Amino acid sequence: MSNNGFQPKLLAFCCNWCSYAGADLAGVSRLQMPHNLRVIRVMCSGRVSPEWVIKALSSGMDGVMVLGCHIGDCHYIDGNHRTKKRFAILAKLLGTMGINPNRLYLDWVSASEGVKFQDVVIKFVDRIKELGPTPIGAYQGVKVDR
Amino acid sequence: MDKKSVIVVGGGIAGIQASIDLGSMGYKVYLVEKTAAIGGRMAQLDKTFPTNDCSICILAPKMIECVRHENVELVTYAELQDVKPDKFGGYKVKILKKPRYVDIDKCTGCEDCIAKCATKTANEFNQKIDQRKAIYIPFAQAVPRKAVIDAEICRYIINGKCGLCEKVCQAGAIDYNQKEEILELDVGAIVLATGFDLYDISAMKEYGYGSIKNVITAMQFERLICASGPTSGHLERPSDSQIPKRLAFIQCVGSRDWHNNPYCSSVCCMHATKEAILANEHYPDLKPYIFYTDMRAVGKRFQEYVQRAHAQYDVEYIRSRPSKIMEDEETKNPVIYYDDTVERKVKQMEVDMVVLCQALVPSASHKDISDILGVGLDGCGFINVPDKLFNPMDTDKDGIFACGFCQSPQDIPDSVIQASGCAARVAEYLAEVK
Amino acid sequence: MSDARVGVFVCHCGTNIGGVVDVSAVAQYAKTLPNVVWAETNLYTCSEGGLASIREKIEEHKLNRVVVAACTPRTHEPLFKNTCEEAGLNRYLFEFVNIREHCSWIHMQEKEDATQKAKDLVAMGISKVQYLDPQQEYEGDVFGSSMVVGGGIAGMTSALSLANQGYEVHLVERENELGGLLKGVHKLFPTNADAHKVITPIIDKVKAHKNIKLHMPALINDVKGFIGDFDITIDENGADSEVKVGTIIVATGAQELKPVGYHHYGELENVVTQLELEGRLKKDEKWLHHIKGIAIINCVGCRNAERSYCSRFCCMTAVKNAWILKEANPKSRVIVLHHDLMAYGVEFEEYYRKAMEAGVLFLRYDFANPPEVIGKDKVEHVKIHDELTDSHLDVACDLVVLTTPLVSARDNEPVSKMLKVPLGDGMFFLEAHVKLRPVEFATDGVYIAGSARWPVDIAESISQGYAAAAKAAIPMSSGKIKVEAITSYVNIEQCVACGTCMLACPFSAITVMDSDGRVHAQVNEAMCKGCGTCVATCPSGAIQQKGCTDQQILSMINTLAEVGGIE
Repeated sequence: MSNNGFQPKLLAFCCNWCSYAGADLAGVSRLQMPHNLRVIRVMCSGRVSPEWVIKALSSGMDGVMVLGCHIGDCHYIDGNHRTKKRFAILAKLLGTMGINPNRLYLDWVSASEGVKFQDVVIKFVDRIKELGPTPIGAYQGVKVDR
Repeated sequence: MDKKSVIVVGGGIAGIQASIDLGSMGYKVYLVEKTAAIGGRMAQLDKTFPTNDCSICILAPKMIECVRHENVELVTYAELQDVKPDKFGGYKVKILKKPRYVDIDKCTGCEDCIAKCATKTANEFNQKIDQRKAIYIPFAQAVPRKAVIDAEICRYIINGKCGLCEKVCQAGAIDYNQKEEILELDVGAIVLATGFDLYDISAMKEYGYGSIKNVITAMQFERLICASGPTSGHLERPSDSQIPKRLAFIQCVGSRDWHNNPYCSSVCCMHATKEAILANEHYPDLKPYIFYTDMRAVGKRFQEYVQRAHAQYDVEYIRSRPSKIMEDEETKNPVIYYDDTVERKVKQMEVDMVVLCQALVPSASHKDISDILGVGLDGCGFINVPDKLFNPMDTDKDGIFACGFCQSPQDIPDSVIQASGCAARVAEYLAEVK
Repeated sequence: MSDARVGVFVCHCGTNIGGVVDVSAVAQYAKTLPNVVWAETNLYTCSEGGLASIREKIEEHKLNRVVVAACTPRTHEPLFKNTCEEAGLNRYLFEFVNIREHCSWIHMQEKEDATQKAKDLVAMGISKVQYLDPQQEYEGDVFGSSMVVGGGIAGMTSALSLANQGYEVHLVERENELGGLLKGVHKLFPTNADAHKVITPIIDKVKAHKNIKLHMPALINDVKGFIGDFDITIDENGADSEVKVGTIIVATGAQELKPVGYHHYGELENVVTQLELEGRLKKDEKWLHHIKGIAIINCVGCRNAERSYCSRFCCMTAVKNAWILKEANPKSRVIVLHHDLMAYGVEFEEYYRKAMEAGVLFLRYDFANPPEVIGKDKVEHVKIHDELTDSHLDVACDLVVLTTPLVSARDNEPVSKMLKVPLGDGMFFLEAHVKLRPVEFATDGVYIAGSARWPVDIAESISQGYAAAAKAAIPMSSGKIKVEAITSYVNIEQCVACGTCMLACPFSAITVMDSDGRVHAQVNEAMCKGCGTCVATCPSGAIQQKGCTDQQILSMINTLAEVGGIE
C-alpha cells in the first residue's frame, strides 16, 4: 500500500462542538490510527477559509481534511451548509490548479462518533498514500521532510 | 435561610437546565446527583426525536456549561438525607456524600485504574448488556470525568484483598479510607428533577423478557445502536450476535395497563419510531414493525417524523397490542401472537428480535424523597403537583418545585421548559419571602 | 511578533502522555524555537503544583504568551486561562495544544512518531500564540424591563412572573381584553373547572400589578436594537409611544382553524367548531336537552396533505366536550370519531377513561373512509365507518362538532420581520433549538411562549410562560451581558460594504452602516456568537475573528510546512 514508505503530511480542521469532540472521544476510547494528521481547532467548520486549504496544499501538505457537524446539527445553525457549498467549489478549483481534488476531504463527524473519526483518518491516509506526495512543494523547492 | 441558595435534586437534563438558569440568575446552586456523574437518561440515548440529533452531542455542552458555571456546585454521588423547614423560611438540608474512595481533586480521568481492575459486574449504564469494573467512570463523556469505586464489589474494601488501583494510580487519587461526609446547607428553595426509572417487566411473563434471549427493552436497544455503546453501534441480537432482518417494537408494555401502570408514558411512541428509523438507517434490509394502540405523536414535527418513518424507512405500523411472545427453539426467533385490530384477525409473526417499549415509572427514590421532604406523591408515585393546570411546577410544599418526568411523563423539550419554569418560580418565591 | 516572550509547559499527565511521548524532548525542542524563553515539563500541569509553576514562571521570566501542551482544551482551558489572569497575563494570550486525546492516546505503539507529532503541534501552537492579541470581553448593559407581546395565558404568566421578580413589564395586547383564546373557552380539562372563574383572578392580578404597564389595545409598529437595549414603538389608541426594554417575550398565540370546505361547515346549521360549541355552552347549557345525537369529528383540517401536524390538545378538548354533552343530557348519543386518541400522560388517560365510563362512544375512523355529514339546511345524520369493527353506521345527529387544529396567528409574519425572528412549519415561530432551547430564539434577548410556537394546552402554555420569564430574567438579573472574546470585528479601511458577511451571519449580528460618510460592515458584539462564518465568506479579508484570525491560522500552516516532520 505505501508508496516507497511515503508518509503523507496531513492537516485537519475540526469544529469545536462536533468533530473535535469526536476526535477527543476517539482518543478517550484509545482508538489507534496513523500518526500523519495534525488538527487545528476552529469554532465552526464555516470558519475554514478556502485560502487556508490552498495555502496548506501549496506549501507541502499532501492532503487537507475539513470535519464539521452533521447537516442540521451545526451549533451555529447553518455554518456547515456554507462549508459544504464552499468546498464543492474549492475542490473543482483545485483541479484547475493542478492539485488532485481528492487531496481535499470534507465530512461530518459528531461528538459521539469516535469510531467514525478513526475510520475517516485511516481512509484518508490510505487515499493520500495512493495518490502519492503532493507535486507542489517539490517544484517550488520548499524543503519537505520526507 | 440563605435567600440566594437553591438545591436542585437530580442531574439529568431537567436538573442541569434548572441549575444553569438559576445560576445565571445569580443564585448559588447545589446540584445533587445520586450517581457518580450528571447526564441522566439523555446520556444513555443514541439520538433524540424528531431531529435525530446525537443525544450526547447536544447534552455535553449543557453539562460542561453546568459544571463550569461559577454559581453551580456539583455534588455527585450524593443523596438528600434530611430536610427541615427553617423557622425563618427556607430549608436546612443535610446531604449525604457517599465515599467514592477516589479523591476527585487528584483524579485526572486517565483510567489506568480501570484497566487494571479485575473485578466486574453488570454495567447499569449499558442496561446490563456488558460489564464494568469495580472502579469505573459511568460513561465516556461523564461529567465529572472521575473514577468511583463500587464498594459493594470492590475486593479491597470488602476484605482487604487486591488494591491494584491504588498501586497503579500515578496521581495518588485512590483513598480506601474515604468516609461518608455530611454536607449541611441552608437554602431558600428546592427544585426536584429526579427523573424516571424503567419499569421492571420481568414479571410480565407473556412477553418473555428475561427468558427469551432476543426480547430486549427499548433502552437496551438504545445502547446497542449507540456508536459509543457496548457493541459500537452494531445491532447484534443477544442469542447469536446476528443483525436482525425483522425487528418488532411492542408499545405500552406495562403502560395503559390495569395490571401494571394505568397511565401513558407519553414518549414511547416517538421513541420506538426513532429506534425503528435508526435500525433501518443502519441496515437498509431491516424491516421494522411497531405494534401500537394510539400513535401519540403530538409535538412539533412529530407527525411528519412518523410519516417519514413509514414512507422512507419502511416502518410498518400495526394497530395491535400483542398478547404473547413465544420462542422458536431452534432459531431463537421470537414469535409474536397478536390480534390485528384493523384486519380483525388473530395472527402470528416470526421476527428476529423484539424490542419492548416498557413503561417509564417514577424514580425509586421518590419514597425517600417524599419522606425526607414531606412532599406528596400522586397515586402513581410521581411528585404531586396539586394544581397541574395553573401552577404546573409547584409541589404541595412551600418553596419546593418539581420539573420534568419526576412529576409527569414528558419528553426532553417539555422537561427543559419546566426546568426553566422552576427557575422563574424559585425567583418569584424568593423575591416574595422577606 | 518580535517582543514575544513565550513560556511552554508540556504535561506528562502521569504516563498518559509521558508513557508514549518523550515529553522532555518536546520541551527541549520548544526551547529552540524563536521567542520561546521558557519551557518545562510537569507531571500534571492541571494540579496545584503545575498551576503554581505557570504563575511563577510568568512572573519570573516576564512571559507575555503561554502555551500548555496537555489534554483536550475542552476540559481545562478555562482553568489555565484563569491561572494566566491570576498572574497578571491577559487570559486571551494563551494557547492550548492537545497532545493526549489527539496524540499519545491514539499512537500508543508509535512512540517516535507520536513524539514528532507532539513537537509539530507544539510548534504550531507557539506560532499562533504570538499572533494572539490581548482581549477584553464585551460587556453590555441590560435594561431591567421586559416587553411581553400578547396578553393570553402564556403572556400573562410571563408578565406576572417577571413582575413578581421585581422587573418592569410592558404587556402589549392587540384586542380590547386580556385572555386570548381562553376567553372563548367554557370548561377546562382535566378538572372541568370553569374557565372564566379561573382566568378572571389572573387578569385582575395583571391589571393590578404595580410592575406591569398594560398597553391595550395596542400594536407594535417598530423594533430597533438588540438584547439589553431594544427601542420599541407602540401604537396605542392611535398615538405612538416609545418604550425601551432589555428583553422581549413573544406570546402572540394562535387561532382556531375555521374548517371551510370540510363536512359542510358554514353550509349546514349545527355544524360547529369546538370553540364555537364552547361559546354556546358558556351562554347556557339548556339547549343541549333538545339534542339527541352528537357526532364529534376529530382531526378536521389537519394530519392531511394540507396540514400535516397534530394540534396536540384537541383530542382532550373533544373528550372534555363529549363528556360535558353526555352529562348535560345522559339520554343523548355522543360519539367521538377519532383517529389516534392523544390522551398522553397520567391525568389525560384517566380523563379519557372516565368519559368512556360516562357513556361517550369512541369510534376510530380511517382517513381513507372519513365520516359523511348529511342534511339539508341543518344536520340530519352522519354516516360513519368504524375502522375497528369494519361496520358502516348511519347515526341520526342534530349536532356535529368539528375538532380543528390551531393555526398560526394572522400577524406572525409582520411580528417575525420586526423582531428578526424566524417562522417555521405552519408559520409558527421557530425556536433556537427544538430540543434544548424551546423558548428561546437564535436572536439573543427575544423569547417565545405558548401557542405562538406550537399548539399547546393551558398547563403547557403556563409552563412556557414561566420558562420564557426565567430566560428573560437571566440577562436582566445581572444587568449585564458578557460575551467571550471570540467575536468578529471589521477593519473599516478594508471593508467594501458588499454585505456578504451580513447575509452569512446566522444570528443577524452584522449590519452595514455609515460612519461619517464611510459605509462599512459592523459587528454587534452582543449578538455575535463567534462562529467565524462571516470571516470565511468575506472576499476582502476585512472581517476577522478574535482568536482565529487568518494570520494566526496561516502562521500555524506555515510552521507545519517549514518544520513539521513526518517520517
